[in-house]
Amino acid sequence: MNNLCTDIAYNSVIKHGEQLCGDKVELIEQRDNSYVMVLADGLGSGVKANILATLTSKIISTMMANNLSIEDCVETIALTLPVCNVRQIAYSTFTIIRVVDSEEAEIIQYDNPQVIILRDGKSIDYPKTVTEIEGKTIFKTKIKLQENDVFIAMSDGAIYAGVGKTMNFGWQRDNIVSFMEQMYDPEYTAKSLCNLLLDECNRLYGGEPGDDTTIGTIKIRKRAQINVLFGPPSNPDDAEKMNSLFFSKGGKHIVCGGTTSSLAAKYLNKPINTSIDYLDPEIPPTATIEGVDLVTEGVITMSKVLEYAKHYLESNDLYSDWSFKKDGASQISRMLFEQATDINFFVGRAINPAHQNPNLPISFNIKMQIVEELSECLKKMGKRIKVSYF
Amino acid sequence: MKVYVCVGSSCHLRGSYDIINLMKKNIAERQLEDKVELSAAFCLGKCTDGVSVKFEDEVVCGVNKENFDDIFSEYVLNRLN
Repeated sequence: MNNLCTDIAYNSVIKHGEQLCGDKVELIEQRDNSYVMVLADGLGSGVKANILATLTSKIISTMMANNLSIEDCVETIALTLPVCNVRQIAYSTFTIIRVVDSEEAEIIQYDNPQVIILRDGKSIDYPKTVTEIEGKTIFKTKIKLQENDVFIAMSDGAIYAGVGKTMNFGWQRDNIVSFMEQMYDPEYTAKSLCNLLLDECNRLYGGEPGDDTTIGTIKIRKRAQINVLFGPPSNPDDAEKMNSLFFSKGGKHIVCGGTTSSLAAKYLNKPINTSIDYLDPEIPPTATIEGVDLVTEGVITMSKVLEYAKHYLESNDLYSDWSFKKDGASQISRMLFEQATDINFFVGRAINPAHQNPNLPISFNIKMQIVEELSECLKKMGKRIKVSYF
Repeated sequence: MKVYVCVGSSCHLRGSYDIINLMKKNIAERQLEDKVELSAAFCLGKCTDGVSVKFEDEVVCGVNKENFDDIFSEYVLNRLN
């Protein structure tokens, strides 16, 4: 067991004028901390390509997850895929990356642009062995992993980006390598890296992609635990126990809520200094307590974090808000969405009588709902979540 | 003199942001920076209709934009004189 985990993201832009994507990514968690990602690019575009890519990725990921050999997978695909009437072939290119315990990766490539591996931000060459299966030339690689290794898989739409629009010949794999090396920042998550490249491809295409373009990124990163204390316990006598469990956890500590922070301050025997700076009129100011990484107000701040989390999972169009702003909600968002891999919520169920006012949108029920919805969102981001109630 | 404006959830929703700005403005206009130390505080435990403000050890509830000038005169200006 090591202290690393596998952060995976993928996203596509669809060929201009089409409604379905002819590329498909399947991701399977084989067991704890072992994943298989398959990126398939179906012949042509539209419905036909979508079906080919979906079948290919689904068959391979399911078979690989059940420990069947790559030979069996390819054979099955060759026998299963419907044959294109126009071209008389059944065809979908694919890239498979299997990561086991964040220690070793196996890459199997068939006709997609070669996977880029960045180690400490620099592209590395990696050995490949060539195998012929069912007349297809397949490249296999096994590689030992290090912290901060990044794998970038792509469909050929990525390297055709810009053809005839912003460049004569599109940008080649080498251009993508230099672009990613330049943009690389060790803090970036798989999702940031993925969208960075995809946005650039889309930009080169002038927003009207000439081909389906898909990027899949895998980043090997250190596990990072973050603990969130939210609300005072329903039984005031439990405050000591709740705080001692919370502060005994490793990693960073976030305390949310006025009463919650005074209980934490009392437990730590340190003063609270509340900042007067209203950085965002919507979000109450933060505070500091020695020994706590971040102290914020409770329900309003957390509602904003939930809003950001929902956007993150969809369009991510509020990224430019929370990614740099200094208010409490933005700071929590950065810590939970980008830094954390494991998040422990310590939720107190005390009801603040002052908040039980029909004119206030901060009732107890809303607080419980925020915790549930936020946990769901964070799970979808691939985080391990534990919620304890007091 | 120490003045704490509550920025807890309830007061925040009722206008802490405006009250803090009014405090800053009034203190600056009257050049009271040396005499009044303005801070924020999390919930003062007196959530009512309006913002709670603590002047030294006394909590005044229900401060809003309308009664701000009266309260500022009574609790800050009168006491400083």
